[in-house]
Amino acid sequence: MAASINEVRNTVLAIANKNNYGYISPQDFNLYAKQAQIDMFEDYFYSYNNWINKQNGRQSGTGYADITKGLVEVMDSFSTQVFLPQVNSNVYSLPADYYLINKLFYYSTPTFTGTSTAVSANQLIDAAAVGWTTIPASAPTPNIGSIIVNTTTFQEAYVTGVINATTITLSADIFLAVGETYVIYVNTKIREVERVSQNKIFLLTNSMLAAPTTTYPAYVLDGNNITVYPTTILQPGAIRSQYIRYPAVPRWTWQNLGLGEPQFDPTQPGFQEFELPDSDEPTLIAKICQYVGIEIREPDVFNFGKAEETNETQETS
Amino acid sequence: MAYITDYQYYENGGIVPEDSNWGSYQYVTLEDIVNNFMLMFQGNNEIINNINRYQVLFHAKRGIQELNYDAMKEIKILELKVCDQLRFVLPQDYVNWVRINLEEDGMLYPLTENIQTNWSGAYLQDNDCRILFDIDGAVLKPADSWFDIQRLDGTQKNMYPGNGPYAGKMGYCIDGKWCFDYSVGKNFGMNTETANVNPTFSINKKAGVINFNSSMMDKFVVLEYVSDGLESGDDSSVSVNKLFEEFIYAYIKYSILNGRFGVQEYVINRARKDKSSLLRNAKLRLSNIHPGRLLMNMRGQNKWIK
Repeated sequence: MAASINEVRNTVLAIANKNNYGYISPQDFNLYAKQAQIDMFEDYFYSYNNWINKQNGRQSGTGYADITKGLVEVMDSFSTQVFLPQVNSNVYSLPADYYLINKLFYYSTPTFTGTSTAVSANQLIDAAAVGWTTIPASAPTPNIGSIIVNTTTFQEAYVTGVINATTITLSADIFLAVGETYVIYVNTKIREVERVSQNKIFLLTNSMLAAPTTTYPAYVLDGNNITVYPTTILQPGAIRSQYIRYPAVPRWTWQNLGLGEPQFDPTQPGFQEFELPDSDEPTLIAKICQYVGIEIREPDVFNFGKAEETNETQETS
Repeated sequence: MAYITDYQYYENGGIVPEDSNWGSYQYVTLEDIVNNFMLMFQGNNEIINNINRYQVLFHAKRGIQELNYDAMKEIKILELKVCDQLRFVLPQDYVNWVRINLEEDGMLYPLTENIQTNWSGAYLQDNDCRILFDIDGAVLKPADSWFDIQRLDGTQKNMYPGNGPYAGKMGYCIDGKWCFDYSVGKNFGMNTETANVNPTFSINKKAGVINFNSSMMDKFVVLEYVSDGLESGDDSSVSVNKLFEEFIYAYIKYSILNGRFGVQEYVINRARKDKSSLLRNAKLRLSNIHPGRLLMNMRGQNKWIK
């Protein structure tokens, strides 16, 4: 469960208000909360690396003593998969909120392409579809479990059933307008696209033995785009990314003043909880206290935050 | 490769060609090798980490090439007809030859390599034997050397392959007809290295052809050769006999460790010994020495050799 932003704020205020003169506005708190969360989020990756090194030195155990397992769980909670929009030919654009591109996948075997001709919830209707059939009932075409990509919006869903020769049911409602294009892929022949550095890519493409092929594709990163090799990979919706996104910016919202204080109201638009787990609440508080201590020029608050954070780091590393 | 049903194995699920899965269980594919290595032998807690897949792919292919050169018995066979140029163009995936046969009436006659070359390049020369050049300073070359012309025309001496009084005599095969010099006395001073009633051949590696003498005109040649196992670059067709699977992993592991900075020498040595012993094991396994086969060989021990 994620750390509660209201609990964190109340605790920070309680610490900062020890002499009844420390007040933190909601706007300032939200700024500090964002900084503290990003700081902690990045620490997870360094911490994971440290624990891997310790694991290799037999300083970490298995089961409940497997510290990396907990770290991976948190990092994986920010894992997202999306099909990448095509910029042109073999160039695809990356999502705007990515922190780390972990893997790219190439869906090598498209089975059907076409355009939706009508709209119905959780369905794809294509009056011009060729080859869709409910026979045999145990294995209709397209295959149940095939992945379908709306190549207009790049949303994805799985095929859950075939109603007739022009209609299939989907696991998500991704066709909201007539005229949206799609491609259906076999969900087994998926190739990982390997990241290659800019200074190696042309050496690699000229290699007799290791040149990128559709079985072993590669990509290079250019700004927020990727260029995929071999250059024959150029169909829209062919590349899917699994990446770690940045945590959403936390936002403590309020509406009414009560006793001169803004009252917490999570129903306001823009409300956002912390995305880090409950167990990170003490460290979040300690980090925010350091910012708050600077703001209200209260060394005790800053020092308390610093000491708490140091304690936490020592305990967990 | 995933396990397949009997129907898929015997009839390829009804898809033509129906024989494409026959015998496939003997082999592990390149894709499986790379995938298994990345999955099992590299990672945060393994001896190898932070490697690119293309490195594994490269070393896997190099290992497969090495196996094909000397350990595996995956011989490919190709039949082609020899026409008026008296040559056999080497197949695209040719690396080395095992045996070259003349095919006649369903019988294969192994041919002998002519260690004395039967082909040559040439430069054009004027009457004073000065070499001729073009305006760019490059030397002018004829289509065929005089030596080649003689071979193609049948005016080079060859050993007569037929029977009768001229069997084994040196003569000229011109348009399929044999002519002989007037024979005086015995045939002394014969070069026994090339003395064979069957036609001979010589390989021009650079030109990528096998050259024959004129008696091979319009004959069929069956070439047995080894390739490097990389199936002309089609990664999806590359596979290795399962008896060599563990060796390939050991080969990749050794190659990567050997090329890395900071790996302890004992780790590299261990990997090298692993690789070598697994290659020996695999060769022994593939040699298929078992009592039944030994028995058949031993039955020849009392055979009289005249």
